[in-house]
Amino acid sequence: MKTLPIEELRALLAAVSSHGDWHLLEIETDLQQTTFLLNEAIEKLSQSFMQVYAHLNDQQTALQQLAEAGKLQPEEMAQLQVFHEHVGHEINQVITGMQFQDMTNQLLQRTIHRVHGLKELLNELSTHKGPMMDEDEHEEIRRFIQQLNQQFDRGSQHLTGNLRKSVNQQDLSSGDIDLF
Amino acid sequence: MAKTILTVDDSGSLRQMVAFSLKAAGYDVVQAVDGQDGLNKAKEKTVDLVLTDQNMPVMDGLTLISNLRTLASYQKVPILMLTTESSDEMKAKGKAAGANGWLVKPFDPKRLIEVVQKVIGA
Repeated sequence: MKTLPIEELRALLAAVSSHGDWHLLEIETDLQQTTFLLNEAIEKLSQSFMQVYAHLNDQQTALQQLAEAGKLQPEEMAQLQVFHEHVGHEINQVITGMQFQDMTNQLLQRTIHRVHGLKELLNELSTHKGPMMDEDEHEEIRRFIQQLNQQFDRGSQHLTGNLRKSVNQQDLSSGDIDLF
Repeated sequence: MAKTILTVDDSGSLRQMVAFSLKAAGYDVVQAVDGQDGLNKAKEKTVDLVLTDQNMPVMDGLTLISNLRTLASYQKVPILMLTTESSDEMKAKGKAAGANGWLVKPFDPKRLIEVVQKVIGA
């Protein structure tokens, strides 16, 4: 049975949509898993960090008591103060580093939203129902693709408009401060 | 008596890091998970400083600031934004809404405390 070219085109687009949808589903699953693992890892790191800090405070209190009891020499106290400052510096670095989970999470969520948008656009490929007449197949195909392209354009603009990028961090340094 | 800071952020880990830094510097900290929660907690007790994120569910930071500035008790309370947003356009919106400063994440705890001390004292 001879089929109209526009029907063949529809079948082809539906196949492309199906393949694309499968790959995007895989991407979405990986992104969700990455988000989950990242959140779990940071939560455990945060808990450990708090425990380490509590132990350091206990240690500092014990050293302070030794110093007050006159059991430490001045040079030993000076050395402990240097260690204390080093630890404080590293704690600050850890706190700055831990915040990258928040930023990477925002970027991951933005990517997941874009994947959802692409899935909707691909769905348009398989479900687009343009009018079909058989007297001028080329003209029908041209109109069909034109309508499809317009739908894609609208979907793409909608997706871009709803996905403003709020994270511009490019390195591991801390951010700027402005007081008004 | 320790000064109280309200920190508003939908990220649990971020709130934890902010609270940790502020408490280590001797401040009392009240935490809120979004702008609406922040507004409710601000009404319960007038704090000395509000430190808020911008992009949050339910109510964003700019809306929270606008709402706080309508309250008589928050006309003079310093409000700082702590956000990943770094564009001049957003900073201008923050200033117009009533923010007193803009800190871009990730924050360095030492610099955060310096700014807080500058704004409300130790």
